[in-house]
Amino acid sequence: MSADRGVTATLLPVMIREEWRLHSTLFGSRRFAAFPVFIALASAGTVWLLVFTGTAPDTIALWLHLLVFAFGLYTGSAGLVGRDEMRDLLGDLSLVVYSARTLPLSKRRLLATFLVKDVAYYAVLFLGPLAAAYAPAAAAAGDLARLPLLWLTLTGTFVVGLVVTFAAISARTRGRAGTATLLVGAGLVGLAWAIGIDLLDWLPYGFYRGTGGVAPAVGILATLGLAAAGLAAFDPTGEPTSRTTGPAFLRWQRRLRYDPDGLVAKSLIDVARSSGGVWKVAFSGGVLFAVTAGLVELAGTITGLEPSTGLTFGVVLGLSSFTTYNWVTQFDDLDAYRHHPIATAAVFEAKFRSFLALGLPTVIGYYLLAVGIWGERATVAVAGGVLLVGLSVYLFGLTVALTGLDPNAFLFDTARFVAFAGGAAIPLVPVLVVGFVAEPSPGLLALLAATGPALGVVGLGLFRWSVPRWTERFRKGRHGGES
Amino acid sequence: MTAIRADDISKDFGEVRALDGLSLTVDPGELFGLLGPNGAGKTTAIQLLTGQIVPDAGRVEVLGVDPAVEPVEVRRHVGILPEQVSPPSFLTPREYFDFVGTVRDLDREVLVERIDTWTDRLDFAEKLDTLNTDLSRGQQQKVMLTATFLHEPAVVFIDEPLVNLDPIVQEQVKRYLEGYVEEGNAVFLSTHHIEVAERLCSHVGVVREGRLVAERKPGSLADGESLLDTFMADVEGGATV
Repeated sequence: MSADRGVTATLLPVMIREEWRLHSTLFGSRRFAAFPVFIALASAGTVWLLVFTGTAPDTIALWLHLLVFAFGLYTGSAGLVGRDEMRDLLGDLSLVVYSARTLPLSKRRLLATFLVKDVAYYAVLFLGPLAAAYAPAAAAAGDLARLPLLWLTLTGTFVVGLVVTFAAISARTRGRAGTATLLVGAGLVGLAWAIGIDLLDWLPYGFYRGTGGVAPAVGILATLGLAAAGLAAFDPTGEPTSRTTGPAFLRWQRRLRYDPDGLVAKSLIDVARSSGGVWKVAFSGGVLFAVTAGLVELAGTITGLEPSTGLTFGVVLGLSSFTTYNWVTQFDDLDAYRHHPIATAAVFEAKFRSFLALGLPTVIGYYLLAVGIWGERATVAVAGGVLLVGLSVYLFGLTVALTGLDPNAFLFDTARFVAFAGGAAIPLVPVLVVGFVAEPSPGLLALLAATGPALGVVGLGLFRWSVPRWTERFRKGRHGGES
Repeated sequence: MTAIRADDISKDFGEVRALDGLSLTVDPGELFGLLGPNGAGKTTAIQLLTGQIVPDAGRVEVLGVDPAVEPVEVRRHVGILPEQVSPPSFLTPREYFDFVGTVRDLDREVLVERIDTWTDRLDFAEKLDTLNTDLSRGQQQKVMLTATFLHEPAVVFIDEPLVNLDPIVQEQVKRYLEGYVEEGNAVFLSTHHIEVAERLCSHVGVVREGRLVAERKPGSLADGESLLDTFMADVEGGATV
């Protein structure tokens, strides 16, 4: 074994152990260990429901691969955020991937091992349960023997997504030339799609789809090439330039109608100046908008009924509350205000106002866009809009009640994730079902419209109820390294 | 009025006893140093004295106010410089000082004047409009030091004030603290640096495993005796005060 391979063989298990401890320390070993079980059960239930409603197993498999590809795109960026960003997100911590500063290890090797670790982790803890959850559909199609192949193609598709993001970030470290290369690559993919090439065939999904082995094999080779190019292009010495800006805090604070401590201004500046700016909020909403549009189309295909645009978008877009709250809480925590004369409740209140300032205009904008594109009767559109606002506030209150200022706790904390999913399903599912009623009666519409404010009140109630509890918990303290 | 008083305070984190019956008093015009090995309870003591967390037992008073009951009121009148806390990543130092001025309701002209004084003292005026996340650790420490003193509090709690600072700035800070105490203010200093405590502190307490095991006055040590010697003896085998 070469010395280099020996180093990698040492690093990989250390990083895998570190990943386990990171999550089990944050959420508890049992909760973290239960997450794959929850993924398997929840996904199996969904698959069973889709099969029950007549969805073709091939369609389910396609959506699984698309979902996993998107997840790979997201995961590709997770290991590449800087130390400061990780500290903002998870508190003061150091990971092995940062050890190039102190140990004779190259950043490229550390990064490559980190990505391999991510693939191994997700393949076992997320993609394995997801593939197992497909069993009802596979059984319906008499195709159980191909479940292992599904797991492999899901893993391969995840890797493609991860490598695409990683290569894009690496290219960006090479300045304008890298960005230009990135744009050319994206343009070529767009061109291929425009002239009618089925890009899905070139993903590992092509093996599962059974449309021939050449295209997916070439796709895999291209992915490996892209990964190698990404590692080669990654500039480990690239440091961000020192960014300067004129004083804006007081101006932002003055513009806000009520922000006595400047906490809302501070939260909004954090979002605006971090990577992606305020556009990341619009992007998150856009993803949900696109998913809703896809679901509406899929549901229409399956049932033969046209779901109500107003009601469907009204409730599903409300889910963006979670991502918006995540953005406004990502760059600080209660510890950041310990040494100021600021009450804990004031921090929560400011996060609520920041959420309203960023989140509501975004979802209302997408809602109006949906109504504009697909059309809706005025009465239903109004009912859906009222529901959207109420549900957004309800889901905000639910998120705060379950996670305080740390909505990321939903990731891999099974108990809280289940509680959130259950709490969200209570208003979501009935309204989605009603959305399939061709002509909701005026009485039903009035009831739905009244449900919006009621949900908002419940959300506010959850928020007000939970803040003193989080405050008490925070003031009891927790044991850090240095005491 | 006593600046800081702690009576028999204790704090557990799960099964870990971080502080165990700590009692101390700091008067105005006094620079009190809390010394101790890693994990002895120094940071927990500051968090309790400033109302950031509440004690399981015992009572605290800072400027006559109980921080467990009125934490915001205590923090309004004191300055706190925690260890290893950075200023907000996406604000500039100038904006962070504006934020602190807003939170502490400082007059705008006074605030600008004090910012000028501190940026001159610590020599970082040219960094006032750089995002905090792009500053070095030392520059971030200068920002935190400035923010701690902007409202000229009567009592200051400082956890390792000189970390990451260059020797010239360290000396500036030491001189400032000496003058600050001479004006009748009180400083509660937590540090690992014996030489800092020896030079600055009028009174030190040695904490070990959450208990105050000794109190010393560096100015009253016998000839040939150093604070380091007494500290080593206190930590290795001292009895509880």
